[in-house]
Parts: sequence; C-alpha cells; structure tokens
Amino acid sequence: MSAEQPAPVAQTVPGAGSPAASNGAGAPVLEAENLVKTFEIRSEDRFGRKLGVTVLDDISLAVRKGESFGLVGESGCGKSTLARCLLRLLEPTAGTVRFEGQDLAELGREELRAMRRRMQFVFQDPFASLDPRMTAGQIVEEPLLVHEIGDGAERRATMLKMLADVGLTEEQAGRRPHAFSGGQRQRIGIARAFVLRPDVVILDEPISALDVSVQAQVLNLLRRLQTQLGLTYVFISHDLAVAEYFCDRVAVLYLGQVMEFSSRELLFRKPLHPYSVSLLSAVPVPQAGGRSRRAKRVQPIGEVSSVVDRPKGCPFEPRCPVGRGREVCKGERPPLVEHAPGQWAACHFAGEATAGATPAKPPSQVPS
Amino acid sequence: MSGPAPMPASPPGDSPGASAQPALSVRNLSTVFESPGRTVHAVRDVSFDMRPTERLGVVGESGSGKSALALSILGLIEPPGRVVGGEIRLGGRDISKLSDRALGAVRGNDIALVLQDPMSALDPVRTIGRQVVDAIAVHEPELRRAAARKRAAELLREVDIPQAERRLDDYPHQYSGGMRQRVAIAMAIAHNPSVLIADEPTTALDVTTQSQVLALLDRLVEQHRTAVILITHNLGIVSDFCDSVAVMYAGRFVETSGVDHIFLSPTHPYSEALLKCVPNPERLAEGPLPAITGFPPDLSQLPHGCSFQPRCPVGKDIPECRGQTPQPHTVEGPSGAAIVECHFAEQRIGEVKV
Repeated sequence: MSAEQPAPVAQTVPGAGSPAASNGAGAPVLEAENLVKTFEIRSEDRFGRKLGVTVLDDISLAVRKGESFGLVGESGCGKSTLARCLLRLLEPTAGTVRFEGQDLAELGREELRAMRRRMQFVFQDPFASLDPRMTAGQIVEEPLLVHEIGDGAERRATMLKMLADVGLTEEQAGRRPHAFSGGQRQRIGIARAFVLRPDVVILDEPISALDVSVQAQVLNLLRRLQTQLGLTYVFISHDLAVAEYFCDRVAVLYLGQVMEFSSRELLFRKPLHPYSVSLLSAVPVPQAGGRSRRAKRVQPIGEVSSVVDRPKGCPFEPRCPVGRGREVCKGERPPLVEHAPGQWAACHFAGEATAGATPAKPPSQVPS
Repeated sequence: MSGPAPMPASPPGDSPGASAQPALSVRNLSTVFESPGRTVHAVRDVSFDMRPTERLGVVGESGSGKSALALSILGLIEPPGRVVGGEIRLGGRDISKLSDRALGAVRGNDIALVLQDPMSALDPVRTIGRQVVDAIAVHEPELRRAAARKRAAELLREVDIPQAERRLDDYPHQYSGGMRQRVAIAMAIAHNPSVLIADEPTTALDVTTQSQVLALLDRLVEQHRTAVILITHNLGIVSDFCDSVAVMYAGRFVETSGVDHIFLSPTHPYSEALLKCVPNPERLAEGPLPAITGFPPDLSQLPHGCSFQPRCPVGKDIPECRGQTPQPHTVEGPSGAAIVECHFAEQRIGEVKV
C-alpha cells in the first residue's frame, strides 16, 4: 500500500499546504500540529501509577481563512476538547497551535488576551451559557467592557447594532434570558461572540438544542454573518447532515484521532475511511424509503472503545467492518495520508469499505 | 390490515381493514393543563387506530403536544394536567376509565413507555440487575428471585448487552448511553407489551448507536408483534423506522398518512415547511433555508380558524383559514391516502413537490 501513496506521509499540516494555493482558497488562519491532550484521571492502575486519558492523540490540521471547517464525530471523540485547545482555553499537553502563523504558546498574557478578542466561542446550550441575572443587552455588552472598547455610549450603540444584526430589538435588550425562547437565546449567544468582530468563531453544536424550524433560522443567521463579516468558522457537530450543509471542509474524529479529512464534496460523495462510511450511512435521511436504506447499512460493530483502554493500532479496528481482526490494523496505527488531492485518510485499507457499501446519498425519490 | 397504502392512524369508520381488532384505538382524546385564569389545550380531540406491528411516527416541534399525548395514553398525566375526554382502547379494552390501581397493572404489562433520557428510567444507586428484576416482579410477584434474575439476564441478552449475566451487577453509570437506553427498553418490554410508546428514544444517542436501538425496536416489532409509537422531531428517523406518520401541530394531528406520503407529497403546509427547513446540501445554491416564520401558537389562546394560519405561507391572508377550523379531509395522493386538516388539502395534493 505504501508504495503507491501519492503523497509523502503527513509531514506538513494536512490542508495547509499546496491545496490552499492551488484552488485559491484562503491561507491557513488556525493550525494545529501534532496536538496531544492528556487528562490525568483519579484512578490508578494496580501498581499505583496514575492513569492518563489521551483525549487528543497527535492531531494536525489547518483551518483556512473564510471557510467553515467542520469537526464531526460521536460523543467522546475529542471534538470539543480540540476546539478548546485551538483557542487555548485548554493547554495542550504537546504540540503546537498557530494563529496566523503565531505560536500561541509563545504569547504572553496580554498578547494572548488581545488574540482572544479575535477568536470567539458559541456554546451548545443557550440555556446554560447565559447568565440568568443579566439582561440580553448586558450580556452582549460585557465582552466590550472586558476588552475596554469604546465609552459607555459607543458600547451601547455597538451592542444595539449587534442585537439588531441577529434580529433582536432594543426593547428586548432589557429582558433577561428566561424571557426568550431557545432560538432567541442562541441569537444572544451569537451576538455576544460576534460583538468583538472576531476573525475566527468556534461554534460548538450551535443548533443541536433547538427545534428544526429554529435550527434553520440560526443556520441562516450564521451564514449571513459569515458573508457580512468575512468570518472563519470552526463548526463542531455530531449531525453529519448539518455539517454537510454548512461546512466547506470536514475532519472526522474518532477516539481523539483524525480518521478522515477532506472537502465536503469528497467526504460525502466518496468517503475513504470505513468509519466515515459507517457514520455517513447511519445518518437518517428525511426522504422516502428509509427502511430499505437502513437494511443495507454498514453497521459498526459494538460500541466505541474506552479512551482509557484505547487500541494499540487503529482506534477503530475493534468495530471496523473492513479491518477488524486484521494484523496490520491491530498492530499499527495508520498514518493520515493524502489519498486524493485534498482528501486525507488514516486507514490501511482506505477506500475498501466504500466499494461494497450503500451510497450515503440515496436517489432522491425511492419507491418503497 | 391490507392494501398497498396502510392507512392506520385513521379516524373511526375510514379505515379499510377495520375488521381486525386494532392494538390501540384512541378516540377524541383531549388533555388540558390548568392554572388560574389559563387553560393550555395540549391534546385536542385526537383520534387514531394502530394495528399490531404498526410503527407510527409522531412528529412536530416542541410544545406541539407529542409528549402530552403519550402521557395521556398511558394515564400518566399529573395535575395541573388532566385528561378531559376521550377513550383509549387497548386490544379492545377501554383503559381510560380504569382506576389508578387497575391502570398500574396494565401499564408495563400491555403498554409501556421508553423515554429520551434512559437515566430517568434507571435509579443510579441500584444495580441494573435489581432494577430489571423489579420491573419483571411488578407484574409477576409470584416469580422467585432466582427465576426473575435468570429472566433479567435473558432480557439483557435480548437487547444485546454483552456478558449479560455478569453485567447484571453493574450500576447504571458503568453502562454507556446506548446500553442504558437498551436496558430501559429491556425493562419496557419485559412483559411483551402490545403497544410501546417511545418518546425521542434515540435523541440523546450518537448516530451509530441510534441505528442499533432502531434495529432492536425492529426485532421487537417482528418477534412480539408490538405496535410502536415513535415520538420524534427527526424526520429522518421517521423514514428509517416508521410505516405511518402523524404530524402534530398545536395538539392536533394535522396530517396522517403512510410514511412515504409525507416525504413525497406532504399536503399540509406545515408538513411541507417542516420538511423543507431540514438542511439539504443539494439545496445549498438556493440560498437561505426556508425557515418557518413565527412561533407555535400559545395553546391557551389558540387563533381562530386554522391554528397554523398565522404562520402559513398558503393561508395567511385567506378569510376561510382565519375564520373556520379545517375539518379532516381524506385525500388520495400518488403514494397513498392521507388525512389532512387544511382547507386546501384537495387542491394541494396534486401540486406539492418536495
């Protein structure tokens, strides 16, 4: 397999190099290189050694300016930890994070603070992430205060303008979170993140707590603001349909490692990694004929392995419809390799699961 | 029930195969939540039938009355809520007039419930085994402990818990989310209920776990002839699992049909809007998602006429929609019949394309 690899084993940060230049997309704005994050857990093994949980295991990727970069995977895959390390809300155990080429670890307190202004976060739960004692206006104005931007009148004007941008009125600025619906609260969370005019916004499951009809409104709002303000998004989602709709490029994570990383078109039309294949085929599509589609699915076997007791080789091997039990998969961790221009996969048998699998996209009208 | 398009959840008299006894028959069910000066009409005069093995999906936004409907059928509505009218027949037997005690014997035995959060069905400080044994013993008090434990292990095996015998002694936190949901299902099916109501059973789960739970429900339907009501806000799940679907809005079933109909020719403007606001990558070029404007109505102050009218792209300014409550219309679409509560049902059935 290694003899016919089109690109050398991932020495550069995937997605940062030539593809960016060749298709004219933006330069990398946020890069992670060999990022590792280990949490110490309380329990000890039988020899009294502390156990560590490796939540991010050697992750390298680059987010380009102006794109929507998707991080997808199931619970516990490390997507939220990765996002937090990217903003240095969490200190990585090893590896480098660069923002516009600047190593975040080399920044002093003040510099980091200034940098933070340019990177913001929107949280999943619009109920838990807003202080119930503050009014919507105060919530949105607070970041301006913290960063000492403008005087009182200017701050208020900026706040009102921002609220108007997300579709809330001046009268609503005086209300507290409980007076708002879930969708409106998420708008407040978005206004709070965007009021500082950041360059990069990390959206951690921004719509999964909302009703479908409201999800559409919030997605539309995020799209409009992105175009208006020229923002870069890192979009975390467990919902692949939403990621496909919203993101330009997507990284699929499993047990803290990147399984596949590519443009939306390639990932959703021709996934290479067996995990991507099973993840994609598991997404229920709201179209006729779902039951016959489901019957043909490639099902992963069993459950996600524990991060404490992670497999030595490929993390997906114990569940993999292709590689389960194969020596190479059990023994060797596959490197993330560029298999087609702009499509990276970490699999010894990349592409094999695709051949026999049902296409992720069914024909639009299936008589059942 | 036979025929190419099963029309299960249909009002009395309309159902073509009415000879077979339905597993569940709900007539004119109404539930309110009362507080001083305010009455919320959560379920408004809902009627439907389900045959054995039928899989009915109930979809709608939060606050549409989906969960209130489930709790009303199970007799689990608590004050200030109250079932104010209607009849619920389970295998021909009217359970809506039963005493709490008699209903307790039916619940868990003939009809059971699975909730979104499996932890709400499990006690965190007792072992899985004890809880499953209890679920069995409630309705079989004469069963000896050892026999009940053996049956509990069988149940866990049935829901694919590996090393079931050994894992009986684990506590809920030692199980993953998907396994807990399967245990909750195991407890619900301990007595082979003829009807299982599953309220968002897969919403808290990852997609790969989701399909495992659906596969488990499949087996349940096939092996025990259980009828399943699947309450969900996810239309994809409806397509994946159900054979009939009811779209709920403001406490009513506004469109009821076989499952393909709703995806191929949704007739009620609300059903169409619900489908269209799901992100569809193929529509990326068409600009913003067609979101539904406005909010679901306040169920204590329902608008005159059609309850969807204030948000409806079709009926917004039409006097008929504002003035008259639409009656159920039975329409025949390309993928079978549907019952639609819309003044424009007949007109729309030929037009709507998704």
